[in-house]
Amino acid sequence: MTPVLAIENLHLGFKGYTGYTEVLHGISLSINPAERVALVGESGSGKSVTARIILGLLQEVRGATIRGELRFLQHDLNSIGTKHWRDLRGTRMSMIFQDPTSALNPVFTVGVQFIEVLRRGSAPLSEAAALSRASALLQSVSINDPERVLQAYPFQLSGGMNQRVMIAMALANNPALLIADEPGTALDVTVQAQTLDLMNQLVASHNTAMLFISHNLGVVREFADRIYVIYRGRIVEQGPTAAVFNDPGHPYTRALMAAVPRITGGGIADIPDTSDEFLQPCVNHGSAL
Amino acid sequence: MKRTLIILLRNPLSLLGVLLVLMVIVLAVFADFIAPFPDHKGAVVDFVYFNQAPSDRNLMGTDLVGRDLFSRIIYAYRISLMLGVVVLVISVPIGVLAGLFAGYRGGKTEFVLMRLTDVFLSIPPLVLAIAMMGVLEPTLLNAMLAVTAMWWPWYARLVYNVARSEREEGYVLAAEVIGASQWHICFREILPNCLPAVITKMTLDMGFVIIIASSLSFLGLGVQPPTPDLGSMVAEGARYLPDSWWLTVFPGLAILVAVFGFNLIGDALREILGAEQ
Amino acid sequence: MTALLSTRNLHKTFGKKRSLVHAVNNVSLDVQAGECLAIVGESGSGKTTLANMLLGVYPQTSGEITLDGQQLPARRTLVHRRAIQLVQQNPLSSLNPRRSVGASVRLGLDVYGIGKPSERWRITEAALEEVGLPAAFRKRSPSALSGGQRQRVAIARALACQSRVVVLDEPTSALDVLVQARVLRLLDRLRRDKGLTYVFITHDLSVVRNIADRVAVFNAGVMVECSDTRRLFEAPQHSYTRSLIAAVPVVTEAEMQLRNTLAEESSK
Repeated sequence: MTPVLAIENLHLGFKGYTGYTEVLHGISLSINPAERVALVGESGSGKSVTARIILGLLQEVRGATIRGELRFLQHDLNSIGTKHWRDLRGTRMSMIFQDPTSALNPVFTVGVQFIEVLRRGSAPLSEAAALSRASALLQSVSINDPERVLQAYPFQLSGGMNQRVMIAMALANNPALLIADEPGTALDVTVQAQTLDLMNQLVASHNTAMLFISHNLGVVREFADRIYVIYRGRIVEQGPTAAVFNDPGHPYTRALMAAVPRITGGGIADIPDTSDEFLQPCVNHGSAL
Repeated sequence: MKRTLIILLRNPLSLLGVLLVLMVIVLAVFADFIAPFPDHKGAVVDFVYFNQAPSDRNLMGTDLVGRDLFSRIIYAYRISLMLGVVVLVISVPIGVLAGLFAGYRGGKTEFVLMRLTDVFLSIPPLVLAIAMMGVLEPTLLNAMLAVTAMWWPWYARLVYNVARSEREEGYVLAAEVIGASQWHICFREILPNCLPAVITKMTLDMGFVIIIASSLSFLGLGVQPPTPDLGSMVAEGARYLPDSWWLTVFPGLAILVAVFGFNLIGDALREILGAEQ
Repeated sequence: MTALLSTRNLHKTFGKKRSLVHAVNNVSLDVQAGECLAIVGESGSGKTTLANMLLGVYPQTSGEITLDGQQLPARRTLVHRRAIQLVQQNPLSSLNPRRSVGASVRLGLDVYGIGKPSERWRITEAALEEVGLPAAFRKRSPSALSGGQRQRVAIARALACQSRVVVLDEPTSALDVLVQARVLRLLDRLRRDKGLTYVFITHDLSVVRNIADRVAVFNAGVMVECSDTRRLFEAPQHSYTRSLIAAVPVVTEAEMQLRNTLAEESSK
């Protein structure tokens, strides 16, 4: 089985007035078709920049140096050129952002933005056809009054509603890969739980592979088949979700698990926030292939 | 501060900027020692050497009454820099105070102060200066006044915008919860956070003030002869192009070098100080 | 026993006539000396508005706030302000990036006139050491500190004023989970050692479970439930509380079970 996405030994560094700093020190990860993979780490671990590299957004940033192999379906992303990459974005690969309200353009209605997304994907589409397709998609994310939502501006809708719109848009062109960067972290817990559930169902029914970027172990546990734990630009542990959660092998993963407060009580664990042990080599649980 | 300086000197572009500006300052400050013909800054006539192309005796040639252009450019730098410093020293504090109070206090203070700056901003700067020079006598002092009048509103607006966004920061709330005075919050908490933007703009503005002053002189409204000024030199020389090209090219280059230098530093500062926050 | 800090029929409305919003609606609660009371709610629940009224950032529309049985006026004196201190959510913004860490911590000492001026740096350094930072950090800029260290500085700033009540407004939600654990332990130790009283505002129920003595649940400006932490999690009375607990992402099987039981109960 060829993976949807394969990253091999990815390095990233930035050059600025203050000199060169390396952020990613050789990341390798792969995602199989219809697989939900989570990349878990703290802030500054390099998880979000990894997503941006896959989408080809960091390549255009001045001062960013990127090395390593990137394969997406049959494409070698390093050689396809920015135009082709841009064509892939929003069609074969799409993204859901942390804050849905700021990810939508406030000066256009949801409908206008939706049509634009749909037109990028398939053959020419009449406005009426696009609108009816959009409203079907909105219904699939449990929006009961799609016509009203399509005519609304993003700021007229709640955060949870915008998040659903984003999910519907992201899946509109049946992408092979959906990247979700901390989806719903900006939302309330109850809304977050609902939208994540929804996203999960849709990804399963569309057979979309998903890269789920999060700092929240609880969320990851419920939504990922496989996990990569990233710490300071290095993968420190990877394996099927159950294996990693039941038997965390790396000291950093263990610390991370222990640090999450439990709703069953038991106090706050005493763990250091940095340790030399965290730099130990990667623990592999074998893959779920 | 030290860190900023180190970064500034390590980057080739900003280093070039620092070197150019240093050169201009050294030339201006030590003009009396550097200029080959110090007395040519005034009304001297030397018809033996009038309108000479650049030579060993006159590096940049001589003007229509035989004065050494290089010497006059050095003295013109002195005037330009002085003009720039005076304009900024007067307009920056006014603008900063107005912007700071408007941004922090909001309400009526904001309305009055910011509408006033809007009025000034709505007048095209050169037109305002020309009008002022028309009413007043066209002297160096009045040129400075005119430029100052059109300069402070930009600082008011800049600082107002920074202060208004800083006002929402947690450290202002923290100081308010503790019960610190408004004076403390404005000057000790918010002002330091406006300074990087102000300093950056001041560096860039040194270049602009030199250009504006030159423009005024070019129109005959600024510095009056025989005091040397880059703008009036270009204006005078333009009539004798292309034969006596040195009359315009060298003063023009002199403007370019100074403005370019200040801009390079300003751009670098903007990036360094901006990244720090 | 009278409560250290209490509110009676507290109201806060924003806006006028047609767009009137009841941000906090008829809230009466007591905070006992030495306890940690958690205020839990989602965005728009009114928890931050409540905190701002307790701190005197703005006055209440109606109702009263009492400290030690004494009613707090709309215009707080420095004595009142000193008694209730704040630790904010985002340590990146709550410390002035252009002032040294020491200057930020010392501000309260200067404003309230705590100690002789010559002693104030020493008190500042002692406060930093109390939160586990070296005294030498006083001269550093906040940008040279990590997120956890900055939040410790913010805690030191509240401690230095020797206040009695500390309002903690989402003090760990901007922190990474490892750092959060250490900051929470620090807060817990400080409260026990110094007999502090906490009003702990958060949306994170799993944090609440492990640090609070009592919990007040807020929804749309109204306090829907207030009880002992243990009882709230094991036998929540209000359906909103149950749905909140059921939405918490969890990492262990035992937690899953607790959630499932609650989910079943609320669907009944």
